[in-house]
Amino acid sequence: MIEEIKQLSDIERILILKINNSKQSFSDFSNSSFSIDSVRRAAGWLAKKEFAEIIKTESEKYFLSIKGEQALERGMPEVILLNKLKELGGETSFKELQSSSGLDFKEFSIALGINKKNAFVIISSGKISLTGVDNDSPLTDLSLVLKKVKGDEKISQNDLSELLDRGLVEKKTFVDRKIRILQKGIDAQKILLEKKIDRVFDVESVVPKILIGKKSPYVQFLNQIRSNLVAHGFEEMYSPLIVSEFYNFDVLFQSQNHPARTLSDSYQLKQPSKGKLPNKKIVDAIRAAHETGGKAKSSGWGYKWSEEIASRLVPAMHGTAHSARKLVEGIESPKKYFSIARCFRPDVLDATHLLEFNQMEGFVVGENLDFRHLLGMLKDFAIEIAGAEKVKFFPDYYPFTEPSVQLSAKHPELGWVEFAGAGMFRPEMLENLGVKGEAIAWGIGIDRLAMFKLGIKDIRYLFAEDLGYLRNAKGVLL
Amino acid sequence: MPTLDVSKKDFEKLFKEKVSISRLEELLEYVKGELDGQDGDSLKVECKETNRPDLWSTEGLVREILARTGKEKGIKKYVVKKGNIEVFINENLQKVRPLIACAVVKDVKIDDDFIVQMVQLQEKVGETFGRKRRETGIGLYDLDIMTPPVYYKGFKDDEIEFIPLDWKVPMRPSEILSQHEKGKAYKHLLDNSKLFPIVIDSKNVVASMPPIINSQITGKVTNKTKNLFIEVTGFNWTNIEIALEVMCMALADRGGKIFSCKINFPKQNFYPSKSIITPEFKTKKISFDKSLIEKKTGLKLNDSKIKQLLENARYNISIKGNMLSAEFPAYRKDIFHAVDVIEDLLISYGFNNIVPQKIKMSVVGSQRKEVLYADFVRDGCIGLGLQEVLTFNLTSKEIQSEKILLNDEFVEIVNPVSTSYQIMRKRLFPQLLSFLSKNKNQEYPQKIFEIGSCLDLDSNEENGVKQSNNLCVVLTHTNTNFTEIKSVLVSLCDYLGLSLELKKSEFAFLGENSATIIVNGKKGFIGELKIGVAQNFGLNKPVTLFEIEL
Repeated sequence: MIEEIKQLSDIERILILKINNSKQSFSDFSNSSFSIDSVRRAAGWLAKKEFAEIIKTESEKYFLSIKGEQALERGMPEVILLNKLKELGGETSFKELQSSSGLDFKEFSIALGINKKNAFVIISSGKISLTGVDNDSPLTDLSLVLKKVKGDEKISQNDLSELLDRGLVEKKTFVDRKIRILQKGIDAQKILLEKKIDRVFDVESVVPKILIGKKSPYVQFLNQIRSNLVAHGFEEMYSPLIVSEFYNFDVLFQSQNHPARTLSDSYQLKQPSKGKLPNKKIVDAIRAAHETGGKAKSSGWGYKWSEEIASRLVPAMHGTAHSARKLVEGIESPKKYFSIARCFRPDVLDATHLLEFNQMEGFVVGENLDFRHLLGMLKDFAIEIAGAEKVKFFPDYYPFTEPSVQLSAKHPELGWVEFAGAGMFRPEMLENLGVKGEAIAWGIGIDRLAMFKLGIKDIRYLFAEDLGYLRNAKGVLL
Repeated sequence: MPTLDVSKKDFEKLFKEKVSISRLEELLEYVKGELDGQDGDSLKVECKETNRPDLWSTEGLVREILARTGKEKGIKKYVVKKGNIEVFINENLQKVRPLIACAVVKDVKIDDDFIVQMVQLQEKVGETFGRKRRETGIGLYDLDIMTPPVYYKGFKDDEIEFIPLDWKVPMRPSEILSQHEKGKAYKHLLDNSKLFPIVIDSKNVVASMPPIINSQITGKVTNKTKNLFIEVTGFNWTNIEIALEVMCMALADRGGKIFSCKINFPKQNFYPSKSIITPEFKTKKISFDKSLIEKKTGLKLNDSKIKQLLENARYNISIKGNMLSAEFPAYRKDIFHAVDVIEDLLISYGFNNIVPQKIKMSVVGSQRKEVLYADFVRDGCIGLGLQEVLTFNLTSKEIQSEKILLNDEFVEIVNPVSTSYQIMRKRLFPQLLSFLSKNKNQEYPQKIFEIGSCLDLDSNEENGVKQSNNLCVVLTHTNTNFTEIKSVLVSLCDYLGLSLELKKSEFAFLGENSATIIVNGKKGFIGELKIGVAQNFGLNKPVTLFEIEL
């Protein structure tokens, strides 16, 4: 007995001293420092440990439904219908009467049925007409009964079942719980009153979990990736959501009639639709790159380049748009740049595709960089960021790099995955923008890596709509 | 990026060697190809070379791989015999679709693989390289049913009718464009034209209406066809020449014999000469200092190695002193610059045979200030016990405008995937209310926040928008009220060291207890959400919130 009392919590002790042999409501014990929820919990525990018992009694109560409230306010549907019919001259069509009465189809049907049953109206050849019977023996107005229900007054069984049938009144069942002390409780009261008994905790018992404030796991992941890049000497670039096609495509030597620039492959904006291009010198340099190759020893695409198309605005479709902007705005050299950019593509939202996603990309610029450095950098990324065991390089194609490479990484748990794409920016871009040396451009598919680190199978959980998932998600540490 | 259907047996027949799947995957690296699926003998090959239509058939893949593996080298020679078919372009097509290039391929042995590959190549070249047939429309015909010479001429709608492919009765051009499946799909290519381009023979038998549809009579190639007439129409001579050569090469790779056609141009300044013979199979040359190879690749290669690697990529190479001259087929429209040749050299060398080098560069990295600041604010929020949430920028007018009782203008997309993702959010809180509406079964209190970008129209900005980084906090539980949300805001501003001002104001979506807030000069709002607005999101507990620009 003593051992059991030692384990009683403070609120259990308070309650056990207050209850007695009569049935008492929980609310009898609650006050500002002892909430009704605490009383309920303590009562539950005491009952479980057989210090007290909880006695349940069920009771029924009747309430007006939303329709009932409406009927109380506007009048009963059958009365509304009859009055409307009188207003309309005593005879009219179904359709006319229903629409002018403002009743929905179900209410209207019931109201019409009641009037018909009482012979207040007759229906012939699609018309509803008054009979005049209601003048002699008017209907009991049920709204008076509704008022009684609302006032919690007694009403007849007949009225009640009619109102329930018509959905004007709803029944709710309440369970009332009362507590009464048991013999074990009385014994405990005596001991507790006699001497002070310190509480002893059961160290193995389950304690309530605290919902802590947390970052989104995806944000946490991205922040750590970002720090990793900064530690490797990369500077973060500005990456706005809306860019002109000039940055998204033209600076990147993607011809203006490329299929990727059509409505089926890329978003276009209704408003704002046109942006401002940078200064004429830059615009002319890019025009020359497309038309003739410009300062680079290149043939160019050989078509007439349009400023109009270049100034169209789009939601950024790839992170490289921001590298393009950086190259236009002017860069330092040698230097390493990166961005983690939100990108948009028309796609179907499902477990493997998002309409908007993050791309991590950037470039390294400097003298004396060659293809071997590109491979070296990718390999470092794969090993350090993705924890790859082995890497393999494949030839690839990007409009803005030559040579272009794809890197597949062998991850200890995922097997071979396409991890990164990269290449050396085309001379048509660099030479026309006056960039000296070489620039190695790279991009990494971080969403897939994020899914792995976060332990999720459905990519939509990166932008989780499920609070339960977020609350239970583990912290992320790369 | 084209995905090709390839029969493994057919590949092996053309490659003259049996290959395992893993070997095939290795070979496909030479053409930037990837095996995308396999069902018995049928393979799906994804080819990333979007500027090389010559690769987009089994014949094309094998042609390239034969050289890469050393079985052949240099530019592949195609013999073009002089043919006797003349084609006349009518002057009335100059503004409609002015150019046509033609060829004849005789003695083709047509089997199922052949038909699959021809249809596929015609389709891929017309759709991808030909920009959905606008730049190049390709037609193949049974030559033995035609009576040369051939005329390419514009007709008015009431001047011509013919039975289009897969149809039974003759139709006028306008009827084809409005009723035939292909007509409907490509009718925009002939929009606003009163003249319809027609390929027609000397007996007035219509062969086709390029680039829409062939006629049922001559334009149906079957396994009984022996000799083919090919035409490509378009606007740019280079493009249609490439498409024609690509088709001819594939046919010749299967044993066909190529014969030329003489194209007679009308007397208009637009056309460069009186006539031209097609196909030409011209070549181009690019010369550069060979030291560029070492500079770009870091590889030290002697002349014979350079020559061999590039011949494996089907170049003809001559090296004189430091100058390297690479000759390549004119259809290689992807070669703009020496770097394109150098990439081909690297592919022959094998990317995985190169030893990666570390970049040695002493530079300092940094994060953007906004990003660092956002994380500073984020720390404050989680200290207050709030859960961070991420929502999409793309959303609906319903959430951003109707449900919060505001009439507003947004950054809007012309071609949304659905109306649920039609605009860019201007405020965060409606997205967070939408989030809460999906979590009514979760334990209360619910206290969430988001830090994210919001867009507003602003014609002064270079990209037409003002992009701000906002913070929004939303609380919902039975007892939340203005005092609670204000104490969150005040505590946070205190931690962040920001000055805060509140002024009682009215908002469409907030109830009586609401205020404009000014934090370090930037505006925001705070208050209790109107019950009606909460109901619009299906929320039935009190909601309080604030949103500020960071």
